[in-house]
Amino acid sequence: MLTKKQNLMETIKGGNPDRFVNQYEFMDIILEVPVQLMCPPGSEFKNSWGITFRWPEGQLGQFPVHDDEHKVLKDITEWRKYVKAPVIDNSDEAWAAAVAHANSIDRNEQFVTAFVAPGVFEMCHHLMSMEDALMALYEEPEAMHELIDYLTEAELNYAKILIDRLHPDALFHHDDWGSQKSSFISPAMFEEFYLPAYKKIYAFYKANGVELIVHHSDSYAANLVPYMIEMGIDIWQGVMTTNNTPELIKKYGGQISFMGDIDSGVVDFPEWTPEIVAKEVERACKNCGKLYFIPNLTQGLNFSSFPGVYDSATEAIDRMSKEMF
Amino acid sequence: MTKITEVKAKVEAGKAKLVPGLVQEALDEGSAAGDILQAMIDSMGVVGEKFSAGEVFVPEMLMAAKAMSKGVDVLKPLLTGTSTSSLGTCVIGTVQGDLHDIGKNLVAMMIESAGFKVVDLGVDVSAEKFVNAVKEQENVTIVACSGLLTTTLPAMKETVQTLKTSGLTGFKVIVGGAPVSQEMADEIGADGFAPDAGSAAVKAKELVSA
Repeated sequence: MLTKKQNLMETIKGGNPDRFVNQYEFMDIILEVPVQLMCPPGSEFKNSWGITFRWPEGQLGQFPVHDDEHKVLKDITEWRKYVKAPVIDNSDEAWAAAVAHANSIDRNEQFVTAFVAPGVFEMCHHLMSMEDALMALYEEPEAMHELIDYLTEAELNYAKILIDRLHPDALFHHDDWGSQKSSFISPAMFEEFYLPAYKKIYAFYKANGVELIVHHSDSYAANLVPYMIEMGIDIWQGVMTTNNTPELIKKYGGQISFMGDIDSGVVDFPEWTPEIVAKEVERACKNCGKLYFIPNLTQGLNFSSFPGVYDSATEAIDRMSKEMF
Repeated sequence: MTKITEVKAKVEAGKAKLVPGLVQEALDEGSAAGDILQAMIDSMGVVGEKFSAGEVFVPEMLMAAKAMSKGVDVLKPLLTGTSTSSLGTCVIGTVQGDLHDIGKNLVAMMIESAGFKVVDLGVDVSAEKFVNAVKEQENVTIVACSGLLTTTLPAMKETVQTLKTSGLTGFKVIVGGAPVSQEMADEIGADGFAPDAGSAAVKAKELVSA
């Protein structure tokens, strides 16, 4: 029996996996970094960039707040006045928990995985609201290029610390690039503004020992796959059924792999049942096949919003492995 | 190309800086304010169709709406008395339990560009708040409910049913959002469904004209 890591490599290289890669099993994701990413439900917090996030009680996640009082970047032409990259605490003490976690992982079995969120596109709209960020691409393209360069440098500075402290084998990087039905911006605009940033970021990780780049975007983004390949993504996590995943595998398998095709919204809700989960898992596994595909909920971490759904999917994937391998 | 045709083309292309000047030139040429407004509404219809077809994306739609808004600013003094919202008022909001606003904002923008007055209630809007808005606003012809999460579909159902049993009349309810389908809209008693912002404006007009 192959290790989780070997089985993943066989799957994405078009070799001979002995079972489906089961969701996030190949990555041990290190979240104990000294950067606050989330607040508990029913609270709000200001992150190190000054962006306020609110998670109202009873909601499924947190949202950036963009009223006049809270919007960080009020005028893109004056971005230098408003946007200040935070200094990351690089003390041994601050990184102790993350380093201990990394050291505890068997690197033969799993990838020690660094986690980065939000990405450059999301940072733009978290700082200034989606509407402002998208219109600025047309109205103030030079300022947007400058802002994106600045955010990219900040990401690279953080990457240096992550690499130095954790020596990760994989990177799990979040940046949502679309809605459920389309990409937020056109492929041409993506190529101009965001492709260069990601080519730099992902090349830096790969040049420093990271073997595997896993990018999360739980959205439609089929029209951006050629750029994903160009920027060095190995696995697109969060691929929704709206992308026609089997078609993408046929077209791009061997250059990139696809992780998802089980839309969280369809299986992860209060009235979920193991039968609904099993049906979706079976559909995904049978339609997408054994190579270049990892069956997975589209959610961006290894859990579900409603208790039991993630584990139920894991069990259903194991059953499909027995049936299909 | 006549000035009015040029206005139409530049709104479609999202040229917010050029449109006000062209609108003024069209007026100077003798075009009626109402005709220029209609040309811009038609442009937004084209943009909406292209968005639905995946030919343009959110930034293009936002820029076209901004261009139209700048053009309307020039026309406003001339349109006093001749209502720019002859289609009535659309009350819009994202249903309770859901904080997503991008899709809802796009729909609001497209519906406004189609000629409705829009009252945006924001996100996480209770059924009661929708009902109160229908009572308080004048000539409400459309209530638009948005929801992105599967988990908030029960709230959407409750909103539609509360509106329908409120005893208030004169308006139609339209629903939309990623997990919403025509089948689901029918099931919860909505009058209309639209899969995206472009078709939402078309559907709203269709329902009001019916």
